[in-house]
Amino acid sequence: MSAPVAPKRSNSPVLWLLFGAGGMLAALFGPALIIFTGFMLPHGWGVPAGFGDYAHVLGFVRSPVGKLVALAVIALFFWHGAERLFFTLMDMRAGDALLLRLATYGIAAVLSLVTLQLLLAVGF
Amino acid sequence: MSERRPYRRAQAPDWWARKPYLAYTIRELSGVGVALYGLVLLVGLIALRHGPESFAAYRAMLATPLSLLLHLVLLAAMLWHVVTWFQTMPKTMPKLIVGGVQVPQQRMMRIGWAVAAACSVLLLVCLVHVGGRP
Repeated sequence: MSAPVAPKRSNSPVLWLLFGAGGMLAALFGPALIIFTGFMLPHGWGVPAGFGDYAHVLGFVRSPVGKLVALAVIALFFWHGAERLFFTLMDMRAGDALLLRLATYGIAAVLSLVTLQLLLAVGF
Repeated sequence: MSERRPYRRAQAPDWWARKPYLAYTIRELSGVGVALYGLVLLVGLIALRHGPESFAAYRAMLATPLSLLLHLVLLAAMLWHVVTWFQTMPKTMPKLIVGGVQVPQQRMMRIGWAVAAACSVLLLVCLVHVGGRP
């Protein structure tokens, strides 16, 4: 009788968790974020002119809460898009699985690290 | 001659662009719109890191009509994401049983949409309130 073989571990639950977290964050706050940063801030609609100033935004991303919010929003949105794009491209038979993984999860990983690096580089 | 020869149904290469699969494709690609908005924010962070001049250029870019159009497209994708996210949520999560009765999917969808609308409105109200403070 052979020894039981441990099933191969999959990384998909971790990726699914990142996808789900990004999806929920986008579903709850995404529309407000786009309306705020894409329409209200650039045109000064409903907010004072100085709200989107360099000093004000810098102060936000230098605060611990601001850093956490920026990292969560940017990185999780990337992981969410990566998961959806990967499976859609696989269904479209757009190419080799490894290549598609690199083009989706790979890019999300690199951009998440870039975001983290920038948030540390702007200071505290 | 025991080699398997399973039947493979022919599938056009552009099946995903045809009905009824097009709805699935659009739903999935709305998630890519979410990621593109993340990229817009990341570009802003890069500009912020480079200094006041770069950030001023980023803000000027955001005020152009082209950026306005881009954000309208991103907003449409985001809203479609909100709609479909709560359409699929009751189907992917375990059955929710309250008081011995299964909560209907339709009600879970409506609650999801209501919570999402409340969260977005609340966030905007908070931001305007904070911005309006002297």
